[in-house]
Amino acid sequence: MAYGVVANFRELDAVVEAVGALKKASVGKFTVYSPTIHHELEDAIGGGTSKVRRFTLIGGLLGASFGYWVSIWTSEYWPLVVGGKAIASWIPYTIIGFEMMVMVGALSTVFGMFILNGIPRIVVDPAYRAPFSHGDYGIHVDCAPDQESAAMDLLKKAGASEVQRAR
Amino acid sequence: MATLAQPVKGPMRPNIASADIQLPAVRDFEQVDNEIAATLGPSKGWFLGLALSVAAMLVGAGAWTYQIYDGLGHAGYVPPVMWGVYIITFVFWVGIGHAGTLISAILYLFRAGFRTTIYRVSEAMTVFAVMTAGLFPIIHIGRPWKFFWLIPYPNWRLLWSNFKSPLVWDVFAISTYLTISTTFLYIGLIPDIAVLRDREQNPTRRLILSILSLGWRNTDVEWRNFTKAYLFLAAFSTPLVLSVHSVVSFDFAMALTPGWHATIFPPYFVAGAIFSGFAMVWTIAIPMRKWWRLEHYITLNHLDATAKVVLFTSLVVGSAYLIEFFIAWYSGVEVEQSYFWNRVFGQWWWSAWIMLICNMALPMSLWSQKLRRNPTWLFILSIFINIGMWYERFVIVVPSLSHEFEPWQWTNYLPSWVDVAFIIGSFGWFFMWFLLFVRQLPVMAIMEIKEIVPARRKHAAVHGHGGAH
Repeated sequence: MAYGVVANFRELDAVVEAVGALKKASVGKFTVYSPTIHHELEDAIGGGTSKVRRFTLIGGLLGASFGYWVSIWTSEYWPLVVGGKAIASWIPYTIIGFEMMVMVGALSTVFGMFILNGIPRIVVDPAYRAPFSHGDYGIHVDCAPDQESAAMDLLKKAGASEVQRAR
Repeated sequence: MATLAQPVKGPMRPNIASADIQLPAVRDFEQVDNEIAATLGPSKGWFLGLALSVAAMLVGAGAWTYQIYDGLGHAGYVPPVMWGVYIITFVFWVGIGHAGTLISAILYLFRAGFRTTIYRVSEAMTVFAVMTAGLFPIIHIGRPWKFFWLIPYPNWRLLWSNFKSPLVWDVFAISTYLTISTTFLYIGLIPDIAVLRDREQNPTRRLILSILSLGWRNTDVEWRNFTKAYLFLAAFSTPLVLSVHSVVSFDFAMALTPGWHATIFPPYFVAGAIFSGFAMVWTIAIPMRKWWRLEHYITLNHLDATAKVVLFTSLVVGSAYLIEFFIAWYSGVEVEQSYFWNRVFGQWWWSAWIMLICNMALPMSLWSQKLRRNPTWLFILSIFINIGMWYERFVIVVPSLSHEFEPWQWTNYLPSWVDVAFIIGSFGWFFMWFLLFVRQLPVMAIMEIKEIVPARRKHAAVHGHGGAH
């Protein structure tokens, strides 16, 4: 159950202005909805660096290690002895190590994005409105009931086309 | 996330640098949603195309059933030519699959603006081309039900696959490529599926789209993580796309067969793959922009930019052909010299000249700006390049095996009707998936196009080109 207020904006600069005002006023935590990525908006929100890269690094290292390990271990386990050639040869096994690094690294990146974004999301977000994927911007301010009026005034002043209670 | 360079200063010149491509005829986000969603409507042409594709696919399926029932002898192999149409067509489709990831990942990292409106269709093409390619080694082994022996899995006989074999490298490279290409395609689609979900009136379709969009809400946190994940996927896909065709080239280069044992094979194969992949993008995108009236998204500037890539890769491939002849002469190895003479002036002259004309001569027309900006010529050229690149693989596979070290082994090769049926079937299979895709999901990245389109503002924009920069 979401509380607080949700506002629709038609213009990008209006939503950027509202974000700045909300940060100053500290009326509550807020979420910004945008139909696409705008660096201008991203800079105004200033959310910091995504942690997805940690999943990428760990996944890539695990994948590469597994690729080398499985090829070396199986070669030692069932040796194919050909002349004086190495039983476990790291040069061709680099192909396996590389492919597994890409496979596990990329999939763990996606997994990390899912975890950090909380998707797949099966609960409907009451603050979300269909126009937010179409052409409108939105802000949901999660505030206590006694601060809702202040938040509504602030959002209207910034240029919100519509402000409602998020319930 | 769309790849944009600095805004264009002054009027747009026809031969504008690729990174400066803009969409002047697209005004706002609503127009983007409406026009791209309109491509999803059914039409008679779509049903006709699907019917033809399914019919072609059934030709291939019938041939496969017959071959499984009656044996691999129907494949037209003549010892020692034991690689034929199946391996040629496998390499051809893997090559087609390269342009998608090149456009979506490599051009993304290079901030090449012309990728934005063509990358979705190229990514889908990649996934379906690799799905098609993956069938051919399975068909080629004759007993497809034993394919899983190539995959390392714990078994009671304690047997493992030989990791020094190029065939096993292929399994790892192709399966990784298919997995990552599909993931890349799907991740890019999530915000666009959310757009379709929010527009959908039919409750069943809306439910399906809700599941596929994973509850995407366009929040700032979602976009931040999405952008980072997309960047890393592009960074992984870039070396991957270069490695896959290099690994495919090792299938040949690791053998001592004349014409195959060459160190230039990996870059030669990668350049050829990009060349043929871009040609297939034209084959698909040029009719598509006409039928759905998307000329203001895939503009002449986009086609011009892709034509320059094709021209460049044609020069690389052409250089590789010439270097092969030079090395054969310079090496002083008689077997190599005899093979290359036989390839161009002997038994296989006709196939070599189809390759040289289609891949080296005709693309030189792209030095002309007028032809680079002529969609009809680009479409015709794309067909020639597709044919030329299939023949390139024919020229690599067949003349080498039919003209090896021992003259008594020299032989001829002619594809059988079963081989031809598989080629027809592969095109049917590819276009069937592609047509099903374009009917259900957006052929252009709605979210990325919105990044290019100037956002609405209360006050006049200070940047002069919208909010995305």
